[in-house]
Amino acid sequence: MQFTQKSKEHIDACRFCWMCHHVCPIGNATGLERNTARARALGLSMVARDSIEYSDDIISNVYECSLCGGCMTDCVTGWDPVMFTKEARLGAALDGKLPDYVMKMLMNINEKGNIYGADKNENIPEINGGDILFFVGEDTRAKGCAKTAVELLKKADVKFTLLKDEPSSGYSMDFLIGAAAETKAVMENCARTLNNYKKVICYDPSDAKVMMREYKEWGIELKAEVVTFTAFVAELIEGGKLKIKKSDMVFTPQDSPLLARDLEETEPIRKALSACGEIREMLLNREHTMLAGNLIMNEYMPAVIRKVAENRWINAKNADTMILVTASPAEYLMLSETKPEGIDLMKLEEAITKCL
Amino acid sequence: MTDFLFDVIATELEDAVGRENCSTRTIDKLTHSVDYFWLSRMWADRGLRMPEGDFIVAPKDAKEVSAVLKIANYYKIPVTTWGAGGGTQGGAIPVCGGIVLDTKRMNKIYDVNTQGMYIECGTGAIYKHIEWAANEKGYATMHYPSSLTCSTVGGFLAHRGIGVSSTKYGKIDDMVLQMEVVLPNGDIIETSPAPKHAAGPDLNQIFIGSEGTLGVMTKAQMRIYEQPESRQFRGFLFHNMTDAFNAGRELLQKFKPSVMRLYDEAETASLIKKIVGVEKKGAFMNIAIEGVKEMADLEMKILLETFGKYGAEDLGSEYGEKWWKEKITFFYPGHMMDIPQCFGTMDTIAPYDKIEKIYWAMKEAIETNFPQAKFIAHFSHWYEWGCMIYDRFIVDGKDVPRDPHEAFRLHQAIWNCGVRTALANGGVVNDHHGVGIKLGRLMKEQYGPAMQVFEGIKKQLDPNGIMNPFKLGL
Repeated sequence: MQFTQKSKEHIDACRFCWMCHHVCPIGNATGLERNTARARALGLSMVARDSIEYSDDIISNVYECSLCGGCMTDCVTGWDPVMFTKEARLGAALDGKLPDYVMKMLMNINEKGNIYGADKNENIPEINGGDILFFVGEDTRAKGCAKTAVELLKKADVKFTLLKDEPSSGYSMDFLIGAAAETKAVMENCARTLNNYKKVICYDPSDAKVMMREYKEWGIELKAEVVTFTAFVAELIEGGKLKIKKSDMVFTPQDSPLLARDLEETEPIRKALSACGEIREMLLNREHTMLAGNLIMNEYMPAVIRKVAENRWINAKNADTMILVTASPAEYLMLSETKPEGIDLMKLEEAITKCL
Repeated sequence: MTDFLFDVIATELEDAVGRENCSTRTIDKLTHSVDYFWLSRMWADRGLRMPEGDFIVAPKDAKEVSAVLKIANYYKIPVTTWGAGGGTQGGAIPVCGGIVLDTKRMNKIYDVNTQGMYIECGTGAIYKHIEWAANEKGYATMHYPSSLTCSTVGGFLAHRGIGVSSTKYGKIDDMVLQMEVVLPNGDIIETSPAPKHAAGPDLNQIFIGSEGTLGVMTKAQMRIYEQPESRQFRGFLFHNMTDAFNAGRELLQKFKPSVMRLYDEAETASLIKKIVGVEKKGAFMNIAIEGVKEMADLEMKILLETFGKYGAEDLGSEYGEKWWKEKITFFYPGHMMDIPQCFGTMDTIAPYDKIEKIYWAMKEAIETNFPQAKFIAHFSHWYEWGCMIYDRFIVDGKDVPRDPHEAFRLHQAIWNCGVRTALANGGVVNDHHGVGIKLGRLMKEQYGPAMQVFEGIKKQLDPNGIMNPFKLGL
């Protein structure tokens, strides 16, 4: 396993530093020392020094990270465990050492366009509505539902296209093997589709994150303007396209780390919800948010991801949350599986629809 | 140990804590072998493996800890308790192998009790998490060490930790009401329901600071406080250390600030200049006053009058506020000493009649005997009767021997010199980082025949000597 000089520097900085210990959603869920940025860095630093092998054991530890960026945001010096973790995953791929569960998901993406190996969802209609594309994303197509979001866009009189067959954005590939040639090929393929439209409304923050960040970083030409569904809906409300009747409902936003940290987008969800009712914040909000679910990791460590969601419900409960609102399909699914009595859970579009 | 016996023990431990919570994986053994101790870091930096545990177990409660200790006693296997690994003294390093008992699964917050003003939690809880739990209800733990985010409740208790607001709110041993402890034989006990009593010696204080040598603390009630209505800062620059000590002592006869930190000229010119921005020559002192606003205002008036008498230059509130904001920044990589440097914090404590003498004696001893070492210090925890020195030596990487064994020898020699000088002038082995494997040998030098009290307790509670061997000098 060969690390870049940049990764080596970050690994060496993190290997003896525990300062971000408290913000790791996985470490908080498992209580295991190995689920810390410093433990991962220490292991990789010993690999870099040829003191230990880049073995299955070390590699599986590298896959126990959600890449949520909590550690990176917490670090006042700016060290980046996400960067070296992704590089270590790429290294495992290049060395032909990927764990079986990763290989299975990659094959599923290759064959079916999603990590689950799910067949195409025939219930999703094709809508040909012009040069705005509503990009649903592979997770929602396979596991979730964007019907309320679609209805909301229609109510705002937005003319949009919904594809029967949607390419993978490359998010899952990026999560699993990082900046591999195969990932770039998937992204380029997606960009070709997106470039047929002027604007892309991205329903899933996972897809928005790679389209708005990684495509640019990797020089993938993207002519279409990409906006998150959250930002788009907030604009519809602000522009009066959605007529909202303010209710007495009290909403607590669950900031998706992808939106809040990777895309630095924290206010649109608040703008939208404050038009609909009151906002009550919970501990760890905006860029300091705590992950509440990850569907890729749920495929290979479901008990831990369930605990991650349960832990976030504890924060919601401690804030006397009445309605927890998320714009992330992955977090919605995990939060709904673990929802306690007495607190409601809504997708953003559901909260807005209730106030039309 | 034969492979067969290894498997026998592994299956018994798996039975005690669950298979997924008993590991022999390389990543688990490796990450539990390197803590914040300079030696383990230097060793790993040079690609060497520290002593590792054979089994890494993570029990979820006292019952599971009890089961593990019974197994360990039967097979006479060492047990090293691991919190979060942020200790600087090697206290959590499994120097004899055996079982590493990681407490972090015991992280449940059972109760935020705003009537009794405490949080009851598992000792594996990260302290920042119990601070968050207190904050969610409008309270605070007031325990703010630099390692707040990365150390467990049990870790702080195990080595008698301290936070920056200690002058007003106390040390960790002042902040605990009751504890649940598993004795080495597996018995689960509770200490007295309240910490201030006349029902014999205080059981809490037997286990606090015992560094895993007498049992495993599994649950604790930690004090919480109301958030202060007002927190005010003031920075000062003293012409010399003597004036600063006299001013600090006089102030503490009048009231208790929360934060009191005095930096010697060398540290003022290095760390304080870099992080807080104080450019002037002298000894910087930062004071925080907090509580009900009316009282804080009055205390500020007394502070200005008192320090004015000693010629302290009033730097206003800006530097103090900056220091408060950046108080943890000092400890992130890039701001803190790090490998390849050789360094250590030889914190000690003494009454005011000895503290300045200790400071100058240690400075002279280190700088004379080890000219390659830089000596800097601050004085960060103050009482009515004395204060502590947080003095550090730093040897540049170019002056650290390449041979790791020789580097280790240099490190030990500087420590011996520094701590023996402190002891000779009325100080102690350590103020708040503990003893661990690093300073165990010096415990007998401090305590002399008094050491037999610790040894007697150890022998009675842990006759097989399985609990964290060679730590604390036991």
